[in-house]
Amino acid sequence: MTVEAAPSHPAGGDFTSDRGLARTLAEIVGDKHVLARQSQLLVYNSDGLPGYRRQPSLAVFPGTRDEVIEVVRALHEVGAPFVPRGAGTGLSGGALADGIVLLGLNRLKRIISIDVENRTATVEPGVVNLNLNRALGPKGLLYAPDPSSQAACTIGGNVAENAGGPHCLKYGVTLNHILAVTVVLPDGSVVTLGDEVSDHAGYDLVGSFVGSEGCFGVAIEITVRLTKAPESVRTMLADFLTIDGGARATSAIVASGMVPAALEFLDGPTTRVVESSIYAAGYPTDAEAILLIELDGLLDGIDLDVERVKRICMEAGARNVRVARDDAERLKLWQGRKKAFGAMGRLAPHLVVQDAVVPRTKIPEILAAIHGISGKYGVLVCNIFHAGDGNLHPNIPYNADDADQSERVHKAMGEIMAVCIAAGGTITGEHGVGLDKIGYMEKIFTPNSLAAMCRLRDVFDPDRRINPGKVVPVHSCREWRATPAGRAN
Amino acid sequence: MARDSRGARELTAPTQLEEIRATVERAGRGAGGLRIAGRGSWLAAGGPVDAGETLSLSAYSGIVDYVPGDLTITVRAGTPLSAIAGVTREHGQWLPLDPAGSPDGTIGATVSTGSYGPLATAFGRPRDQVLGLEFVSGSGEIITVGSRVVKNVAGFDLVRLLVGSWGTLGVITQITLRLRARSEVERTAAIAAPARGQKLAAALSAVRAARLAPLALELLSPALSQRLGLGDATLLLARFGGNEDSVSAQMNELASLGEAVPVDDQCWEKLRAVDGQATGTVRFSTPLTDLPLVWDALGGDGIDGQELMRHATVMRGIVRCMLNGSGSPVAAIARAPGSARLIAERLDRVSWSALAPSPVSDPISNRVKQAFDPSNVLNPGIFGVAW
Repeated sequence: MTVEAAPSHPAGGDFTSDRGLARTLAEIVGDKHVLARQSQLLVYNSDGLPGYRRQPSLAVFPGTRDEVIEVVRALHEVGAPFVPRGAGTGLSGGALADGIVLLGLNRLKRIISIDVENRTATVEPGVVNLNLNRALGPKGLLYAPDPSSQAACTIGGNVAENAGGPHCLKYGVTLNHILAVTVVLPDGSVVTLGDEVSDHAGYDLVGSFVGSEGCFGVAIEITVRLTKAPESVRTMLADFLTIDGGARATSAIVASGMVPAALEFLDGPTTRVVESSIYAAGYPTDAEAILLIELDGLLDGIDLDVERVKRICMEAGARNVRVARDDAERLKLWQGRKKAFGAMGRLAPHLVVQDAVVPRTKIPEILAAIHGISGKYGVLVCNIFHAGDGNLHPNIPYNADDADQSERVHKAMGEIMAVCIAAGGTITGEHGVGLDKIGYMEKIFTPNSLAAMCRLRDVFDPDRRINPGKVVPVHSCREWRATPAGRAN
Repeated sequence: MARDSRGARELTAPTQLEEIRATVERAGRGAGGLRIAGRGSWLAAGGPVDAGETLSLSAYSGIVDYVPGDLTITVRAGTPLSAIAGVTREHGQWLPLDPAGSPDGTIGATVSTGSYGPLATAFGRPRDQVLGLEFVSGSGEIITVGSRVVKNVAGFDLVRLLVGSWGTLGVITQITLRLRARSEVERTAAIAAPARGQKLAAALSAVRAARLAPLALELLSPALSQRLGLGDATLLLARFGGNEDSVSAQMNELASLGEAVPVDDQCWEKLRAVDGQATGTVRFSTPLTDLPLVWDALGGDGIDGQELMRHATVMRGIVRCMLNGSGSPVAAIARAPGSARLIAERLDRVSWSALAPSPVSDPISNRVKQAFDPSNVLNPGIFGVAW
C-alpha cells in the first residue's frame, strides 16, 4: 500500500454557505460542472430504483483525478458530508444525497491502460462497463462481471456495490476481479490499496473496500483482472409448465459438476411482460418458468455438455429445450432477460426490486411462498433471477401514488424478505443495502456484527462524512461509539 | 492446561465457543498475549510470536451444516481439511483448496493464513471461497459476518478482512465455504519445459495462450520433479477436468506443446507433502510476464536445487520456494526482482527479520488492528511489527 498525505494547510476559501461552497468547487472544476439550482438537481434525486427521492444541495462533477482530490479536500476543509455517484443506475438508493453534496464521477471515463500479456486493465471510475468490454473484445479478453445495466453503469459504481450479473455464476462477482484501487479518503489523503499482482501479505484492504457502497472513500483509479474470452458459447432456452420443474432443473444442473456461465430463471408473469414489450425475445408466453442457460469455454466438449443439460431439463419436466443457432438469436434471448426490468415499466410507474439470496435447495419452496404472498396482498410479483446462485429478484410493479396499493406492496415485500431470511438467506446478493435494505440489517446481523462494521467504516472515515446514513443503521454505530472501548486511540 | 508442542507456552484447547471467547477476554486483561493455533503443525509460520499462552482450535472441530444440494458447508475452525474432503467426496463434491502441508491441517489455519495451492488456478484463493465467518475479536466479542449463501453483499466485508489476517484481528471459530461438484473426468499429465530464460518465458506464454482450461498448471524445478519421482527435468504439470471430449482435447493440446506423459493424480498429494520436509517456505506474487525472471533469480548459478525447491502456479503468477537450510537459499530469496511481492509463510527467526518487511506498517492497517484487537492480544509479533 502506498500513502500520499493530505496537505496540512489546504487552500482557504469562503465556505460559510452552500453558495460559497459552490463557488469554491467551481474554481476547481469550472462553472458548468457545478450544479446548484434546484431545477438542475432534479435529475439527481433518484437512482435506478424509483421509489426514493432525495435532493442534493449541490452536485459537482470533476473531470480529472486531481480535481477529485481537490474537491474532496475542499469538502473536508468545511466538514461537508458528500455522496459519490457513478451512473446512478444502482438499485438500492445508495447514491442519493439528502440535502448534501453529490460528487459525480462519470466524467472520469478514461481507460488508462490495458496490459494484454498480464491480463490487467487500469481505468478511471467513470468508465462504463460495456465500453471497457468493447475495448477488450478485439484483444480476445473480457472483464467478466456483467450487471444487467452494463451499457450504462460504471466500473467505479460496480466496485462500490460489488456488482454481480448473470455470468457471475461461473466467473465470480466484482470482488474476484479487482486487483488494486486508488482511493481518495474523506480527509483528502490518497491511498493505493493492492497493486498489479494478485496476492499480498497483510490485510486484504482491497477486498474490504470492494462493496463498501461509497462509505469508505472515492475510487479514482481501478486495476481489474481480465479473463480470456471463451472460444465457444452455447445459449439455451428451456421452458416448463410449472415453476417447480424449472427449479428442479436448476438444482440438477448445479449438482452435475458442469458450471454454466449463466443460469437465469424467468417466471410466467415476467416472460409475458417481456413478450408484450419492444424487447420481445421469442419466449413462450404460456410457460410458467423458463430457464436461460449459457455454457461457454473450449469448443471441444461443449456440445456434450449441451446434450447433458438438455437431458437434465427434459427429465425435470421441460416441454422444450432450444439451442440458439447463431449470435443474433443468442443476443435476442439475452436482450429479453437484460431488459426485463425496463419492460416492467409498461405495467406501472414504479417498481420494487428485491435481491435476496437463498440456499439453492430452498428455491422451490420460496417461490411457492412468494406466490402465496402475492395472492394474499393482491399484487403482481414478477420473478426473474440468477437461479444458479439462488439470487432472487421478486419485483412488484405498482403505482406509488396509490396509497392502498403502496401499503400492500410494502407488506408483501416485507413478508417475502422474512421468508428468505428464515430459509437461511441474505437480504442482498448484488444490489447493495443503501437506503432500501437498511431496515433489514438488524434481522440478519447481531448488534456486535453491526458495530464491527461501523468500526471498519471508521478506519476509513472516522467522521462518517461520506455517504452518511447508508448500509448500517445509524443507531447501531451510535451504540458502538457509546461504549467506553468504542474509540480506540 | 498443558504445554504446547514446543513446550514454550501454556496450551488451552477449548471445545466450546464460550470458552474460546472467555480465553481471549482473560488474555486481554493480562499482558501475555495469545498464540492462535490450529493443529500446531505450522507454528513456525509468520513472524516470531511473543505470547505466554497458545489457544488451540484443534478441539473445536466438526461439520456444523452440510446440504449437498446447496454446495456449501459450514464447519468449525478446527476441522481438518481431510475431514471436509471425506464428507464431501461421498456426494461427488470437494472443497478445491490444496495448501501445502498435511491434509490434516485445519480449515481455520488455512483461512486465517490465506493459504492455497495449485488448484487456485481454476478455483481461486480462500478469499474467493469463504462465504461467511464467525470470530472472536481481540476485545472478546463474538462477531458473525458474511452469510451461508453463495452470493452476499449485505454490509461491509469483514470476511475479506479476516481471511489472511493471520489471527491478528480475531480468532476465527466457524467458517462457511463454497464447494464444487467434481468433474466427470479428471486427468494429469506432464511435459518437459525449458529450465530458464527466454525459452522458458516463451513456453509459459504459449501454454497460457493455448486452448486449455486447466484445474491446475504448475511449473516444477528439477529437484522437485525428482522428489515426486517424475525424472529430473523442469516440468509443467497440468491437471484437467471436465467431460471426456474436453479433457481429451486438452491432453492433445498439451501434447502439441511438448512430449506429454500421463502422470498419476497422486502426484498432487505428494507435492503438498514435500512441504513438511522443508525448513522454511515463502512465496512470491508476480505479474505474469515477470514470473520467468523470478524463477530464474531463485534458480541461478550457485544455488543448490535441493536446498531451494521451486514450483510456480503459472496462471496466477505465484512462485513458491521450499527451503532446506538458512544460508544460501535465504540469500537467493533476497535477490528476487523488486516487482515480486514476498509472502513469508514459514521462516526461522533470523531469516524472518532479514527478509520480511512488515506488510502492515501502513496507517490504515494500524487502524484496522486498533479497531479489532486494541489491546494487542492476538498473535503479537506475527506480522513483524510491535503488535
